[in-house]
Amino acid sequence: MDLWLLVLREVFWAAVAAGGFAFLFNVPRRALLVCALGGALGSLVRTLLVGSGTNIVVATLAGSAAIGFYGQFLARRWRMPAAVFTISSAIPLVPGIFAFQAMIGFLQVTTTAPTSPLLLQARLVEAGVNVLTTSLLLGAIATGIAAPALLFRRDRPVV
Amino acid sequence: MQPNHMPDAPAPVPADAPPKQPLDREALRDVIDLSLWVGQMLIQHGADAQRVEETVHRLGTALGCDWMDILVSPNVIAVTASSGEEFRSKIRRVVRAGVNVAHGVRANGLSRSVAQGEMDRHQLRTYLPQIGHTARAHNRRLWVATPAVACAAFSRISGGDWVTFVVTLVAAGIAMVVRQELDKRRFNALLVITATAFVATVFSAGAMRLGWGSTPEAALLSSVLLLVPGVQLINAAQDVLNGHLLMGVARGFSGVLMSLAIALGILLALWLLAVRIP
Repeated sequence: MDLWLLVLREVFWAAVAAGGFAFLFNVPRRALLVCALGGALGSLVRTLLVGSGTNIVVATLAGSAAIGFYGQFLARRWRMPAAVFTISSAIPLVPGIFAFQAMIGFLQVTTTAPTSPLLLQARLVEAGVNVLTTSLLLGAIATGIAAPALLFRRDRPVV
Repeated sequence: MQPNHMPDAPAPVPADAPPKQPLDREALRDVIDLSLWVGQMLIQHGADAQRVEETVHRLGTALGCDWMDILVSPNVIAVTASSGEEFRSKIRRVVRAGVNVAHGVRANGLSRSVAQGEMDRHQLRTYLPQIGHTARAHNRRLWVATPAVACAAFSRISGGDWVTFVVTLVAAGIAMVVRQELDKRRFNALLVITATAFVATVFSAGAMRLGWGSTPEAALLSSVLLLVPGVQLINAAQDVLNGHLLMGVARGFSGVLMSLAIALGILLALWLLAVRIP
């Protein structure tokens, strides 16, 4: 019960964030709500998967793939490029926290006294892990969004 | 993105279709000018390389060319249009502007109208300049408030409490104003990012020093999220996936630079306020 409340909270705020960023990117007004819903969808998939013990990178891949297919569906119906819907919907999945921690981590490395090599090592490793996670998550988002293209449109290259 | 499954992709030309009437040099010049214009607009407003190539190709062939060769690189778009025996090439410099989906959608809509034969190149020439001149659809107050709300929403996602929510809202709102004002004065883009991150962090870290809220780190990180080059980085990965390596690497690098600019702004503010992150 508590878990569902938590999921609901996360999804709600993801929708707000996606809608806000869609606004920032000057998405046409009639598509704003749809972008917010896309953000909710991606976040829902990811939160549920992470909650059930899936690795966050895999969960993000699944969430952004859901957004990719959602955008594809809307692109057909609304005759707009899929990117209009997918980019802002994927923004809540962007790993801001990991990127931030990586940055702070490297800062701490520079201010760690050289007399404590163990602490230095630990901080360096932690910052490195955060950088890796950030890049993996970004890659997962891009792959997920492109999933419909990668899977189903291998024929007729236009150029 | 993924332009070849865009709903408006024209049906493949049947093998027995009558050949296109070759265009003369004047017409070719017009076609190449128009398609470069559309391509430039798409790159400027955040389309990925594949989509630019395919939209330009579709537009040029719909306007009567037999083939279009397009080179999309980070600062330049080059197009060669061929028709019959004749061909012409042109290069145009592309200066980066921010992400503006509305422009991309409208450029795309125009190219679709042309592809469906609803518009010829003379009409396209009258409609195209209007895209560049349309102001933002949303009014200024909303334009400040909405990204601020989005950042505040992020602070909730990162586990912040309601005090943190309000702090983030204010910090991000002020950051948004600062960013607009600096952009208007045409400062260097990276400098604008650093300055904006600095101002946002001064506010959120100030709240941290005053002991507002139990989760001040969430405010610290969320108030600069409006600067994170998410579109840039996602596009970079997508370009690399689609084999546009040069474009992908360039975009990725500029995304990394923008992130570093954010970090610099945060660090300066933290240092100024002597805030230590646990």
